[in-house]
Amino acid sequence: MSADTTRLRMGILAIVVISLFSALLARLWYLQVLAAPAFKTEAQLNSVRFVYTEAPRGRILDRNGKVLVGNRVVPTVVVDKTELGDKPDDVIRHLSALVHVPENVLKDRIDDPRYSPFKPIPVVDDVPKETLIHIREHQDEYPGVQGVMLTKRFYPNGSLAAHVVGYVGEINDKELAPRKSKGYRAGDSIGKSGVELAYEDELRGQPEVEKLEVDAQGRVLRTLGKQPAVQGHDVRLTIDLDLQKVAEDSLAQSIAAAQATYDNESGKRFVAPAGSAVVLDPRDGSVLAMASYPTYEPATFIDGISEKTFGELNDPAGHYPLNNRVTQGLYAPASTFKLVTSIAGLETGLITPQYTVNDRGTFTIGDPPTVLKNAFSEAFGYVNLTAALTVSSDVYFYELGSRFCPGTCRTSIQETAKELGMGDFTEIELPFEASGRIPDAATKKRLHDSNPDAFPDPEWYTGDNLNLAIGQGDTVVTPLQLVNAYATLANGGTVYAPHVGGSILDVNGNEVRKIEPRVNRKTAIPAAIRDPVVAGFEGAVSNSRGTANPAFAGFPTSTFPIAGKTGTAQVSGKQDTALFAAFGPTDDPRYAVTVVIEEAGFGASAAAPVARRIFDQIVGLPLTPITRVQAHD
Amino acid sequence: MALDLRSANARRSSSSWRHLDLLLLAAVAGITAIGLLMIYSSTRQGQAAAGLDPGYFLKRQALFVVVGVLVMVGVACIDYQLLRDVAPAIYAAALFVLLLVISPLGTERRGTQAWFQVGPYQFEPSELAKLALVIALAAFCAAHRGELDTGRLTTALGIAVVPLLLIYLQPDVGTGMVFVAVLMGILLVGGASPRQIAILTLMGITAIVMVLQLGVLKDYQRDRLSAFLDPKEDVQRSAYNLNQSKIAIAAGGVGGRGLFRGTQTNLSFVPEQHTDFIFTAVGEELGFVGACTLLALFGLVMWRTWRAAITAKDQFGMLVCVGVLAMLVFQVFENVGMTMGITPIAGIPLPLMSYGGSATVATFAALGLVISVQMRRFS
Repeated sequence: MSADTTRLRMGILAIVVISLFSALLARLWYLQVLAAPAFKTEAQLNSVRFVYTEAPRGRILDRNGKVLVGNRVVPTVVVDKTELGDKPDDVIRHLSALVHVPENVLKDRIDDPRYSPFKPIPVVDDVPKETLIHIREHQDEYPGVQGVMLTKRFYPNGSLAAHVVGYVGEINDKELAPRKSKGYRAGDSIGKSGVELAYEDELRGQPEVEKLEVDAQGRVLRTLGKQPAVQGHDVRLTIDLDLQKVAEDSLAQSIAAAQATYDNESGKRFVAPAGSAVVLDPRDGSVLAMASYPTYEPATFIDGISEKTFGELNDPAGHYPLNNRVTQGLYAPASTFKLVTSIAGLETGLITPQYTVNDRGTFTIGDPPTVLKNAFSEAFGYVNLTAALTVSSDVYFYELGSRFCPGTCRTSIQETAKELGMGDFTEIELPFEASGRIPDAATKKRLHDSNPDAFPDPEWYTGDNLNLAIGQGDTVVTPLQLVNAYATLANGGTVYAPHVGGSILDVNGNEVRKIEPRVNRKTAIPAAIRDPVVAGFEGAVSNSRGTANPAFAGFPTSTFPIAGKTGTAQVSGKQDTALFAAFGPTDDPRYAVTVVIEEAGFGASAAAPVARRIFDQIVGLPLTPITRVQAHD
Repeated sequence: MALDLRSANARRSSSSWRHLDLLLLAAVAGITAIGLLMIYSSTRQGQAAAGLDPGYFLKRQALFVVVGVLVMVGVACIDYQLLRDVAPAIYAAALFVLLLVISPLGTERRGTQAWFQVGPYQFEPSELAKLALVIALAAFCAAHRGELDTGRLTTALGIAVVPLLLIYLQPDVGTGMVFVAVLMGILLVGGASPRQIAILTLMGITAIVMVLQLGVLKDYQRDRLSAFLDPKEDVQRSAYNLNQSKIAIAAGGVGGRGLFRGTQTNLSFVPEQHTDFIFTAVGEELGFVGACTLLALFGLVMWRTWRAAITAKDQFGMLVCVGVLAMLVFQVFENVGMTMGITPIAGIPLPLMSYGGSATVATFAALGLVISVQMRRFS
């Protein structure tokens, strides 16, 4: 082979080498100069992890600063998965023996996917301090196991005001979706009901964010930065803890008394499965007490409620203790609705305060005639509006009701009801409020169309007006609407949106924001209308013929005059609902109270005694023992 | 270093050492230094995190370099022409050792039986077998003065194929590819006709397709080899190395992220970074400027080796240099190309850079051959 050929071949070799190097350089140029910015971000994301730790939630206080829901520091054993060493099973076995929790339970908790793999996972809480010390002193036996203090929801008064404060649980997918932008992550806690939900944004605070640098194996190398947690704000409620306690105790006692009483009408004892009591300040709509029976322990939701317990809470046989019957319960208001009928009658001029009806105990209407009766067909004789309210003459209100129809078939009862906020959301900040219903010809038709079996008749008759006049028929309201209507009468016509939140406080107890009263509507209730109605209600409490008089026997109505109205609602297939609505003192109303107990008989027997005890507490008297007073209506 | 060598050896063979290529040595020294730095950078954090000596890999590689330099000097001292005479013996010894390593005496690691465990060190005979192949092929082709008929060409192929098969049994696809590159390089310069080269190339392509299609390779091998074609496909498996490697290099940008400051490098996102993927550390921490400098140093080594080839006083010396050149070029191209996603992933170390004793010593020995040829060009 000639030298020239060799040179040529070496030249070819050189060209091959140069080409290969050029390819490398071109690629290097592309990656490092042209595509570098995009890759740089990718490299950063690769090595940085964010770890979030929720801040302690704010507390929930009563109006005087007493703690309803607080936080408790809990000694907790946590496990760092990545530090368990070569024999994780041994460590878990040792730990299991130490804390008396089965190994498989510990393993399940350690593998709980809700927790970030970069932070220790709580596996056992409320461990004795000695256990934590033991772990610290025998760290070689427990690599990756640590004792820490975690904060948890704490309920110093147990179930007190459970329906107001609500409970906290783990966020679910449906709740998470709209809150992702707010920084919520799977596994976070969120208010599920009550104030915990209504004031979630204030209570939550801001989580601690730790920025970690990790290597390819996920080992934490160092902390790049830490944004400390900001504890949530406290919410001070308008609830008075002591009054709340009286309301709840009295409600429970009256229900127990009803359950022990034989009901002649149904031939069995009263079922009295549920009830509610609410106290409102008519001057601004703030809720002073809100009791719902049956109740539950919010503490059962800490660390996630078991499916079994949650099932029990939602079992019809348990009468749904999670429901707040003040805002969610729907009841026929019965005679307590006469407030509305009275105002409507006076406003339209269908009656005057002096207008009198001869109450013979019955009222006949229609063809063929239907006979409607007072309770026990009792005849009250000649009664004007005030007397009719005091003795609860249904005949008077049948009379009045029949005047709204026929003829123009005016709907002023419905209009007045709506003016007073009935049949509509009160717009209290608590969630899941029910709206209620004040029926008229249109709603009756609509109800029939949607469910002909339950509502067989689409037509609106005079009889419907009569039913409406005494708060029966298709009329249903929540106890909160009822108390708000009485508060409106008390304050002269302002319909407030009731509220349980008073103010938002920071960690140091300084007020961040005051929750201002909100006015839903103002309606004029002139003295000419208000006075005879209030007089009738006052008589019901303090007049010896008054329906609520037995319950208020011995109460100092001369110094603290109370206006009240009993109600006994007939519910098809059930025993009567007992109702009582009141406010006082009538010269300067500061308290409006409503008590409703399902299947407990007369309002005067079951509901009024609860209100009596609430007023006892308000005026500082010893609480009157609950006794089932004999009553009519 | 070069000056020391010169004075130390001047007494023994003053005539040859005068022609020592200092430029080549400087380039080699530069690459080796960058290599040591990058090995330290890519291992210290992982070692420290595990509570081990952060300088462990640095120290061991430094030891390999010292041994390598001694071997290089030793080889350079030998007149390469002696090697031509003992080429068959060297070749036979290499085959024997390759046989030995796939016998129960060899050690298996990650599915490849390619090492002898000697105390705390592993010796990988296939690295030295490359040199044996260079010498054997060069000797064979030189003996026929570039006149290769079909019979001789077949013999030449046979010389390469026998060790190739032994390496395939380990299996070590990467080293096998280096053998092919050496064969092609020496045949190109050593006398194969253009027609023969064309046929060989065609055969080579057919062989590659068959290897990929006929299940000769294990699945993971095929995945690794073809991952560069579509790295986005499966980030978790074969393409993971490649993606992380590309991210690392690209993240370096023009100026690099600074020595010891590359997150990909320090946090061991790139697997095998101190060995096969050492170039990613250069790319990330020293940037385009540093990577180009390194490639330029390699280019310098290639150029000097190429020059040693054309100035060699005989055909054997030239073909030895060509063989070494082919070996180095292929390894640099394949390795660097692999980290940037333009060549298949194969376990081929970057000469003078990757951590590893056998490869380091083998590369220095190869350079010793080049020096031996180069400084005896006038004698």
